[in-house]
Amino acid sequence: MTREEVLLDFTSRFHEDILDLHDKSRTRVFVTVTPESIVRIGTYLFRNVGARFNIASGTDMPPNIEILYHFIVEDINLLVSLRVLLDRENPVIDSLGRDIEALNWIEREMSELLGITFTGHPDPRRLLLADNWPEGVYPLRQDYEEWDETADRTRGI
Amino acid sequence: MSLKLKALLKSPWVFHLSTGSCNNCDIETLDCLTPRFDIERFGMLLVGSIKHADVLLVTGSCNRMSVERMKAMWEQVPKPCLVVAIGTCAGSRGIFKDSYNCPVPLDQIIPVDVYIPGCPPKPEAIIAGAVKLIEKVGSTL
Repeated sequence: MTREEVLLDFTSRFHEDILDLHDKSRTRVFVTVTPESIVRIGTYLFRNVGARFNIASGTDMPPNIEILYHFIVEDINLLVSLRVLLDRENPVIDSLGRDIEALNWIEREMSELLGITFTGHPDPRRLLLADNWPEGVYPLRQDYEEWDETADRTRGI
Repeated sequence: MSLKLKALLKSPWVFHLSTGSCNNCDIETLDCLTPRFDIERFGMLLVGSIKHADVLLVTGSCNRMSVERMKAMWEQVPKPCLVVAIGTCAGSRGIFKDSYNCPVPLDQIIPVDVYIPGCPPKPEAIIAGAVKLIEKVGSTL
């Protein structure tokens, strides 16, 4: 399938879930989708279109928390970025890690660094932060405050 | 103590420990050991176990996870052991000074003998640092 056919098929299939489609360049498309539909759209891209899951990235952008799921359709050299906007006070989204193994660790990372809850994640343990890190403190949030009183923020030497 | 140090300076065996660096300092450190720069002519040999080491080469900015491992290693080093902080991160934490994951600089955790600044330091700088370390410790004996 060509690039146009893939995009036409994709938009007609999910036209109710797609909030916005930004055709940035020949190799890059940003698609804003509703959080409820991410599992359907993600698994469709992965299994039916044959896209490769590249990476997901979370960003705290008040008043939302934004997740970008990057899928690459290698046959037509197209990078599809699914953008999901979550409520910052209660960021909850269905887990794609059940269906796509590669999302397992990045979802664990996003959940501890940004405080996003991935419902149905197969292994929701802590991944990167130290064991003595307090619950409910998310270092990549914009309003993160220093909690460790023993931390030294001088140059030292 | 001084006899042990004197014996150590003839051929200081080094152990290379990365505490969460970006790997540039590690690459330059390994460069020193290759025939082009050949730090072995000062008797330095890279060892695989901390228990064989006389000198600890530390790179990276000491994040919360690796600090615990580094403390466990420091307890296993046969003393006396000299510590060399390679790179800006190990010396002063560089751009990670205010990072949530790097609370304490290296020299407040274990005693550091020589700092080699640079991001990453060139192999020549690391060799100069190694020579200075040998001179510094040798002059105190």
